Amino acid sequence: MSAPLLEVRGISKRFGGLQAVRDLSFRLEPGEILALLGPNGAGKTTAFNMIAGYTRADSGEILFRGRNIARLRPWDICRAGIARTFQLSKPFADLTVVENLMVGGFARSRDAHAIRDRAEAIADFLGMGRQAQTEVQHLTAFDRRKLELGRALSTEPTLLLMDEVVAGATPAEGQEMVALVRRIRDRGVTILIVEHVMKVIMALSERVIVMESGRLIADGAPRDVVTQPEVLKAYFGEHYAAARA
Amino acid sequence: MTTAHPGRPRRPFVPLPDETPTLSLGAAAPRRPHGARAAGAAVLGAILLGGLAAAALPLVVQDAYFLHSCIVVLFFAYMATAWNFVCGYVGQLSIGHAMFAGVGGYATVLLFTGLGLSPWLGMPVGGLLAALLSVVVGYPTFRLRGPYFALTTIAFAEMIRIWVENTDSVLGIPLNGAAGLTVPLRGESLAALQFNGKAPYYWVIVALLVGALAATWWLERSKLGFYLKAIRGDRDAAESLGISPARYQLVALAISAFMTGIGGGFYAQFFRYVNAERLIGVDLSIDMALMSIIGGQGTVFGPLLGAVLLAPLAEITRGSLGGSLLGLHIVVYGIILMLAVLYLPKGLIAPLRAVLARAGLGGGRR
Repeated sequence: MSAPLLEVRGISKRFGGLQAVRDLSFRLEPGEILALLGPNGAGKTTAFNMIAGYTRADSGEILFRGRNIARLRPWDICRAGIARTFQLSKPFADLTVVENLMVGGFARSRDAHAIRDRAEAIADFLGMGRQAQTEVQHLTAFDRRKLELGRALSTEPTLLLMDEVVAGATPAEGQEMVALVRRIRDRGVTILIVEHVMKVIMALSERVIVMESGRLIADGAPRDVVTQPEVLKAYFGEHYAAARA
Repeated sequence: MTTAHPGRPRRPFVPLPDETPTLSLGAAAPRRPHGARAAGAAVLGAILLGGLAAAALPLVVQDAYFLHSCIVVLFFAYMATAWNFVCGYVGQLSIGHAMFAGVGGYATVLLFTGLGLSPWLGMPVGGLLAALLSVVVGYPTFRLRGPYFALTTIAFAEMIRIWVENTDSVLGIPLNGAAGLTVPLRGESLAALQFNGKAPYYWVIVALLVGALAATWWLERSKLGFYLKAIRGDRDAAESLGISPARYQLVALAISAFMTGIGGGFYAQFFRYVNAERLIGVDLSIDMALMSIIGGQGTVFGPLLGAVLLAPLAEITRGSLGGSLLGLHIVVYGIILMLAVLYLPKGLIAPLRAVLARAGLGGGRR
């Protein structure tokens, strides 16, 4: 197997009395869609934010293409080739769709015209070509989510971190989003996705990792992992797992 | 406006597996005429043509009082445009920009009286010193979120004003305290930037304003402008797109302070007098901010529009009430600000833009 694209080595984070993440390690291979699961409060978002540079790890290393990025700030991590989306979309409301999609392009190029062309290409890719000149405050919630994804792509990432892509979407919208994510992966972007909706995870990822109380408790194919007793216990409690055993 | 071009071949927008990210944009993207580009060129053309047209005014009108008033209005338009360069685009409020004008004005006068340096050089040197001060003010505050920048600017400006008002000389440099400094008369002298008539001053301020508007036009379409608008929109999201908010806000603030400092130098030359209350005081800072906000901050022409409407208004209220009700113009400003916030929160420029866009000038976003 080739070298992993991302290797998380024993990262920990404590907030006051709460050990949010403890000694978390996992690897992400190039071209993979890896899902990070876990019940509320398991430490998923903290782990996610440590990779994206929004939260500094107390200890441990995060190797991206062999380079430790654990001490870098978000903008340097973006320039290294990692993009992220936010759980609540954070568009630039008074800019148009194309302008939103142009901002990230300046991290890779100085040519504003080439950046505008690419932004329009991304808008088309999202199926938002007709809204290209619309101010974002007039978009629907789902279009904003798609734009959030497109804006991350505008930085030409090698690794895309996605925080709950289908939150609040209808089933049809969820399917559209799943199809988009697949097409992004097919273009060579590796993806780490934090997601709650099982259907999405089953449709997208070959491998899932599960966190509980800041620890990694499972790693494997989605169908195998969801039947593991530790995972059932984490999600449904002690008695449920015991009753099934 | 360009939207979808089904027939046009599209290049992949995400890197292929064997490409490094920087390569995928390629060196030679195909250049096509662009709606946005044409509109942008039209805006720059309007700035230059407007400047030329304005420059012709003294050839037609010789009335000294009228020209004097025009210079004052254009001075405020220039200062508001300089304020807008950072505050309008990044969505931060500075209530202390006059400190940069003060540094520029005092530096211009002192370099002239002390070293005999021509104001033509003194003004940019004063601008550089103002930019330096802006870095001192901005560096610690732009790292923080919230109202700290606004608070820091007003605190710094007032500290400097009070210090200058109470200091007669520092390190052998005469500041002359509250009395202020006068520019020694040299008669009609281009090198000393002193003229008997008003017209030359008028041409200088028109040129400065054209420069400031052109700089704002450039900002609108530059990387810096996009970054500032992104920081204004959402700071977290901006960081995720490769933007260090502190760094780019600081760059914009330094440029804005440089322009403001040059404006302070012009003020000193035009009135041949500077004092701390007028040039560093909070009144000038508030004028710059309000004209920009009421006219339309974050736009190229908004601050100009705000100044053209508000500066004469202040002059008229002051003149007609003859000092019997000092500060009434501030009350008038307040009322206009309230009305603008209620009915035109994007500034007086917003309805004009809509008309321009409908007229097919494509400047809907300018």
